[in-house]
Amino acid sequence: MKMKSLLLLLSSLWVMNGVFAKEIPARPQTLVNDYAGVLSPAQSSALEQKLRAYEDSTSTQIAIVIDRSLEGEDAFEYSFRLAQAWGIGQKDKDNGVLIYVAQAERKIRIVTNVGVQGFLTDALSKRIIENTITPAFKKGDFYAGLDGAVNDIIKVAAGEYTNDSKGNAAAGGAISFLILAAIIIGVFVLFSVLSRRSNNGGRGYYGGGRYDDRGYGPGGGWIIFPGGGFGGGGSDRNSDWGGSGGDDWGGFGGSDGFDGGGAGGDW
Amino acid sequence: MKNLVSAVVLILVGLIALLGGCSTYNGMVNADEDVDNAWGKVQSAYQRRADLIPNLVNTVKGVANFEKSTLTAVIEARSKATSVTIDPANATPEQLAAFQQAQGGISQSLGRLMVIAEQYPELKANQSFLELQSQLEGTENRIKVARDNYNDVSTAYNKKVRRFPASLIAGMAGFKQKSQFQAEQNAQDAPDVKFE
Repeated sequence: MKMKSLLLLLSSLWVMNGVFAKEIPARPQTLVNDYAGVLSPAQSSALEQKLRAYEDSTSTQIAIVIDRSLEGEDAFEYSFRLAQAWGIGQKDKDNGVLIYVAQAERKIRIVTNVGVQGFLTDALSKRIIENTITPAFKKGDFYAGLDGAVNDIIKVAAGEYTNDSKGNAAAGGAISFLILAAIIIGVFVLFSVLSRRSNNGGRGYYGGGRYDDRGYGPGGGWIIFPGGGFGGGGSDRNSDWGGSGGDDWGGFGGSDGFDGGGAGGDW
Repeated sequence: MKNLVSAVVLILVGLIALLGGCSTYNGMVNADEDVDNAWGKVQSAYQRRADLIPNLVNTVKGVANFEKSTLTAVIEARSKATSVTIDPANATPEQLAAFQQAQGGISQSLGRLMVIAEQYPELKANQSFLELQSQLEGTENRIKVARDNYNDVSTAYNKKVRRFPASLIAGMAGFKQKSQFQAEQNAQDAPDVKFE
């Protein structure tokens, strides 16, 4: 009897520790992950292209996962853990969405990170599942359901996010202009200081007397260093932009702000 | 000479102990802040649910002859729960249990409301009811996530505070153990909001 209750306790502890929970796959290098193989390669890459383009313009990450089975775990619990573990959404914006499908259990979940809940509310997520995903899935057309859901989310977000992305682009432009200006000024000052030095043979009596009064002498050094610093920042940023524009996707943003929001449904 | 050496050694040991004590103390302060933060999320998740209730009640009330007693039960449970506020920093397990029970009262009455609502075709076709229903489902999930997170974070804190020798510093600085949510019957009675 005692043994039995001990076993029961142990097994319940195991459950709590998640030993029986479904294992989460390693972070993938794609936004669309069809572990059940219900999408054709062409459909999968069409979705992937669309989602990457969307991330490029808004930084919002929408990921799609189609699993063969939940292996006994609850759809909400697993999709939540998955989204959190992969870190879908940018770290500082928490703007990630996971569309999760479990084929065997016929379960759908839209998991929203806090950064998108302003426009993609639980009620809207539910509506997208009921009006777009479920009808298409019932016909067996997974691609139509998922593609339609992505379109819906993009449309819903458009009200809030076109402005955001425009604001970002403008700010980006201003920053790169500032960087350019800083580099030019930095180079200019560097040259003028160097030429002055060579002309005067370093800090001569004349230069020291006249400029030091105004604090100009040490100022030279001050101007050069920030200029150089900005220049470095500028090239970093440029290489970042180059990366996201290329073929290689940068991976999930690493946000862990998921709070359990979203909606579920079945078909 | 010997006295000098032992004095230096003593001072060194004292310094190391002091430094270690400081970092232990700071670690506890961090963990304590984490617990406060997690508790804030728990409260806002419960608040979110409490805020949904007036809308839900009004929507349901608008539908012809909905059973009055179910609605009053929800409203009563809500006012009872909002009157139970606790300070997580000093909450005893009993206080937290009382808080949990009051919130569990809302869960139960809402669960009954949803079951009864299923019998009203008029409600099941009502757009704003359906939206509230999905919002409620999302909120129940948020509560669950926030509670789990609170338990995780407070466990980490309790480990810091209770382990020897850190427990000595915790005792001096007044860091007390945090109470935690218990898995209980009520938690399993959370409204099962399902569409058929």
